[in-house]
Amino acid sequence: MTQRIHRKGFPATAAMLLATLVGGVLPLSAQAADLEVSDARMRVLPGDTPAAGYFRLDNNGSRTVVLVGAESEAFGRVELHRSMSDEGMASMEAVDRLEVPAGEPIEFAPQGYHLMLMQAVGEIAVGDRVEITLQFEQRESLSVEFEAVPPTSM
Amino acid sequence: MVFPVSATPGRADRHTACRLVTLLFVMLMMVGCVDRNWETNDITDVMPDLEFDLVDENGQDVSAQDYSGKPTFMFFGFTHCPDVCPTTLAKLSAAIKQLDKEQRDDVRVLFVSVDPGRDTPQVMKQYTEAFGPQFIGLTGKRKQIDALTNRYRVTYEYGEPDEQGDYSVTHSSSVFAFNRQGEARFMASDFDSIESIVGDLEYLLKHG
Repeated sequence: MTQRIHRKGFPATAAMLLATLVGGVLPLSAQAADLEVSDARMRVLPGDTPAAGYFRLDNNGSRTVVLVGAESEAFGRVELHRSMSDEGMASMEAVDRLEVPAGEPIEFAPQGYHLMLMQAVGEIAVGDRVEITLQFEQRESLSVEFEAVPPTSM
Repeated sequence: MVFPVSATPGRADRHTACRLVTLLFVMLMMVGCVDRNWETNDITDVMPDLEFDLVDENGQDVSAQDYSGKPTFMFFGFTHCPDVCPTTLAKLSAAIKQLDKEQRDDVRVLFVSVDPGRDTPQVMKQYTEAFGPQFIGLTGKRKQIDALTNRYRVTYEYGEPDEQGDYSVTHSSSVFAFNRQGEARFMASDFDSIESIVGDLEYLLKHG
């Protein structure tokens, strides 16, 4: 038994070493897999009013990534925003870049960071899936499907 | 002689104990008369009764008297607000949904625009309908809105318009709650949970 494990163990270590080397040679393919977006949703609001997009972004890589913007064919304008509350006053500011360190997920959630989705091109109904592309500094953009959720969802 | 002497203080002790219990009981009764210890923030006697002259979703001039009779929430915001305003309204909607079915129509939410330039009665109507039948949009002239924001000591401020003319509005994130007579009772902030709001609202429905 013990011997067999030893025999199995050696090739496995070699394979891992090889994988690390390949990963090092091909950083682009590794980067495509190290970002994960989950719980992507946008609130559908009536009329010509801007909506908010929310999601969670996990950086499973080893380096900080920088979110610099977003775009969508479904909206004339998409901006990164942050809501703030100070002594009972709510305000909002545009965010140019947002650093997402490795292993530290960022939540775009109500009353904090959000995508401000303006000038909807067509009508979006609850349940629709809307594609929004997240743009990063010095790396490929990431296309994400956002689910259209009711105005009353939190 | 010794025996009755020791018996008298015993009776006196019992008497004192009796009086203490009665006193405690009376005190508890009095506490019951005082308004609830609100889970959110108490604004009883701190904020004035609800009073305003505004324009409703149908373009009609309205005043606070038109909305008395039901526990009422009031929130200042604007429809071009993608995050805080819909989140607050969604929170109130979620709180109302937690009430017993027959109680849900016994609550009103007044969403007062601080951006009448963009928030016409039609825009307000379309917007508030998305949150439920309890939600009513109010707008008006700046002077009318200012009278109301000043009354509740809140401010609002317009941001610089961008190249497309869009601007943001900084506004109060507090939700004011009034009883059936329009008397100020509690105020919910961003930090208050839906459960706290439901607890306070249920009390207001029963006793207010």
